[in-house]
Amino acid sequence: MKITLKDVSFSYTDSIDDAILKDVNLQIESGECVVLAGESGSGKTTISKLINGLIPLYQSGTMAGDVFLGDKNTSDMTLAEISKYVGSVFQNPRSQFFNIDTDSEIAFGCENLGIEPEEIRRRIEKTVEDFHLESLLGRNIFHLSGGEKQKIACASVNATDPDIFVLDEPSANLDLKTVDDLAEIIKLWKSRGKTVVVVEHRLHYLRDIADRIIYVKEGRIECEWTPAELEAKGPDYAASLGLRSIKLVQLGGTGVSPAAQRDESITFRNLRFAYQKKFPILDIPELSLPKGKITALLGHNGAGKSTLAQLVCSLRGSWSQKRAARRLGTYLIMQDVNHQLFTESVLDEVLLGMNPKDESAALEILDSLNLKDYVEKHPMALSGGQKQRVAIASGVSSNRNLIVFDEPTSGLDYRQMLAVSATLKALAKRGKTLFVITHDPELVLNCCHHVIRMDHGRIVEEYSL
Amino acid sequence: MPNVKTTGKKSSNTLVRDLVNVGIFAALYFVLAFASSSIGYIPALIIFSTGSISLVTSIPLFLFFLKIDRPIFCCLLFSSFFGCVMLMMGQSLLMLPIFVTVGVLTGFCLKILHKSFWGLFSANVSMSLLSSSMMLPLWLSTEEYLAYASGMSDEGYVAKMAELANSYWPLVAIFAFGILGAVVGSFIARRVMKKHFERIGLA
Amino acid sequence: MKLDPRTKLFLVAAANTMIFSVPYAYSMPMVAAVLVLLLLEKKWKFMSVFFPVYAIAALCFDYLKQLDSGMIGTLLAATVLLICRMMPVGVVFYYIMATTKANEFMAGMSKMHVPNKVTIPLTVMIRFFPTVFDESRAISTAMKMRGIRLFSLHTLKNPLTILEYRLIPLLVSITKIGDELSVAASTRALAPDTRRTCIVPIGFHVQDAVVFVYCIAVIAFVVVSHI
Repeated sequence: MKITLKDVSFSYTDSIDDAILKDVNLQIESGECVVLAGESGSGKTTISKLINGLIPLYQSGTMAGDVFLGDKNTSDMTLAEISKYVGSVFQNPRSQFFNIDTDSEIAFGCENLGIEPEEIRRRIEKTVEDFHLESLLGRNIFHLSGGEKQKIACASVNATDPDIFVLDEPSANLDLKTVDDLAEIIKLWKSRGKTVVVVEHRLHYLRDIADRIIYVKEGRIECEWTPAELEAKGPDYAASLGLRSIKLVQLGGTGVSPAAQRDESITFRNLRFAYQKKFPILDIPELSLPKGKITALLGHNGAGKSTLAQLVCSLRGSWSQKRAARRLGTYLIMQDVNHQLFTESVLDEVLLGMNPKDESAALEILDSLNLKDYVEKHPMALSGGQKQRVAIASGVSSNRNLIVFDEPTSGLDYRQMLAVSATLKALAKRGKTLFVITHDPELVLNCCHHVIRMDHGRIVEEYSL
Repeated sequence: MPNVKTTGKKSSNTLVRDLVNVGIFAALYFVLAFASSSIGYIPALIIFSTGSISLVTSIPLFLFFLKIDRPIFCCLLFSSFFGCVMLMMGQSLLMLPIFVTVGVLTGFCLKILHKSFWGLFSANVSMSLLSSSMMLPLWLSTEEYLAYASGMSDEGYVAKMAELANSYWPLVAIFAFGILGAVVGSFIARRVMKKHFERIGLA
Repeated sequence: MKLDPRTKLFLVAAANTMIFSVPYAYSMPMVAAVLVLLLLEKKWKFMSVFFPVYAIAALCFDYLKQLDSGMIGTLLAATVLLICRMMPVGVVFYYIMATTKANEFMAGMSKMHVPNKVTIPLTVMIRFFPTVFDESRAISTAMKMRGIRLFSLHTLKNPLTILEYRLIPLLVSITKIGDELSVAASTRALAPDTRRTCIVPIGFHVQDAVVFVYCIAVIAFVVVSHI
């Protein structure tokens, strides 16, 4: 099914003058795989909302122009009708589930469309086979990892068998292995003649699949390339546009274990954790983090990285483990920073952890994190990257020596990733020791000194970069 | 510019948003109301418990009122869910019409006064009648309620309740504290809306 | 063993009427019934925690009820009695939550001719309880790490700050999740005016009849013995 956007402008306010999209014309042919790339706030997600009908049917705002699916104008349809033709997968796997168990979630869209139960069962069987989901059936969604949830979300839209798939930053919270699975799914859709539209910063996994990469800037379609054209222009060109590298960055160590060259380090002993004695989730006798350096922790989803972070930050574990961790002074920057912001202004947020009279020290910390202009702003009103820096500032102000980051660059574009990397380097220069859990090879190459790789709850590899 | 139109208008497409909001705020309301009513387990504080419920739930209710597009329908659903759960918890059938009335009244407050502060304020006060009227059967059908309470609590507590039921003043006090809690809660909620949610862009 | 969602609703209503409105001892047969149902579902872990606590609380119940020993005594009694009272309710709701899927519940409701407009928010509400606790746990973890205590010099000076610190992050994340959930549901054809199907077959079987007869028998027994 063909998608046509004709002279479309859209604004999230009452006035078309504040438009986030300006006179966009776009035609996507049936069976094409198109990537919408661009910096955060460029309007690429808004284009995806135009295709799945959320604009003009759901999102309030002001619009000019028309969107056609085939020859039907979306403003004359209902969302339920559109969902027969367009299936959508969103960025946040935590909030797109209506059911609590995986089976019902896969069936959800079909049930809503009133398809006969026999037919739904047949489709689920086929989907499970195609996506290799056997191990995920009959599970509680609260017990799934982000990658598993995203696969279930794909399976659910696949079961309704639409002609068009719209994915809004589907890889934002996924590790490299799961991203490969996602690529397989998209490839499968394409091979069946489906139209696939992906809004994405990470381009490497779409290199062999995408027909076109459309670059959106400030609400306009700036230019478009085939993946080969973009690759030929070199990584610096892509970086200058704020895009992530189209070639997967390979990490290679010097082979020297950091233990051999380390002079001073923070050492944790006996990091073990298990829900049931027989199945240890974490089993690390000793973990050493070089002082004043940035250490990356790599590993697949479910390798025990988050549990390790929680143990290190005294949020989990036995009483003695917690006491040991607390003595070392650790602070965790959570993946969802919304949970750790409490006050009404950025300055208060930093002052909360320190002596309230020490305002000048707080301002100095904020200045070093480029937050000086936002002192009076509400922390939750800031952008994702700024929120994260506020959380970091509160960690610094509470005088912790070791700061642990859980996926600091998930869902960030190239420029934002560089900003995070610069922040980390600045913190290390202040003498803080940093421990970064990440899937992002570009971040690791940019700022990390050491790499630890985990698998099945154990450290399997350590090297310096 | 030609053919500029407003999007996301009231239709069956946006109704789902209202329905989901009713669901999540009802869940939140139950959890908060249950937590803040717990001071009522100290017999001397029974009559204050309605005040604490309406004080604590003011902020989420303000947010709920701001987020819905169909006030009467949504408020009616909201309060009848509360009624149904109370019914399931063994309260008398008498409560259902009360809850329906409270829901419609709250919806009308929002409908007539719109989402101005006074609209939200009156809706919040009206919604506070919901938790206050949970104690109503103690006066309307005293014996039945005391039998109900004696299954729930010890004799000292029941005696205290019986003592309360002797006069109508405690009933007045319960509603008065409920309303007072909602009035104070509304002003706090207005401050919180200005201080937090408006600046975040959620209200 | 599978029960029809409508049977489960009847069971909740019957069990809760028994638990709340008559002398305490009458709640036993209903609690026993739900426990049997849970055993049939093989919920060993829940049972192994629930049963000892409930038994001890139930044993203390009669003793504490007669206790008349001032303020602290009453408070203690009230707490134990509350545990004792709420646990049967808890076990009934746990059974429903653990064994009923959202789509089964919706299908059962539509069989009872309840419109989608009522069923959707009701389903969302039930589905959201675990999310509220999940989010609230994440926030208290963050507070602990920050060293924000619920009772400190700072919060004693402004008691409202406790409410702010706890409530505002919770409200922000809950409303965001709610917004994203309704978008995701709308794009997957959830609509108030369409007819849904359900892959789980819904219908009355022998086990439903057994539950109905048992509940009615217990209620009848209680009513008769009261007269």
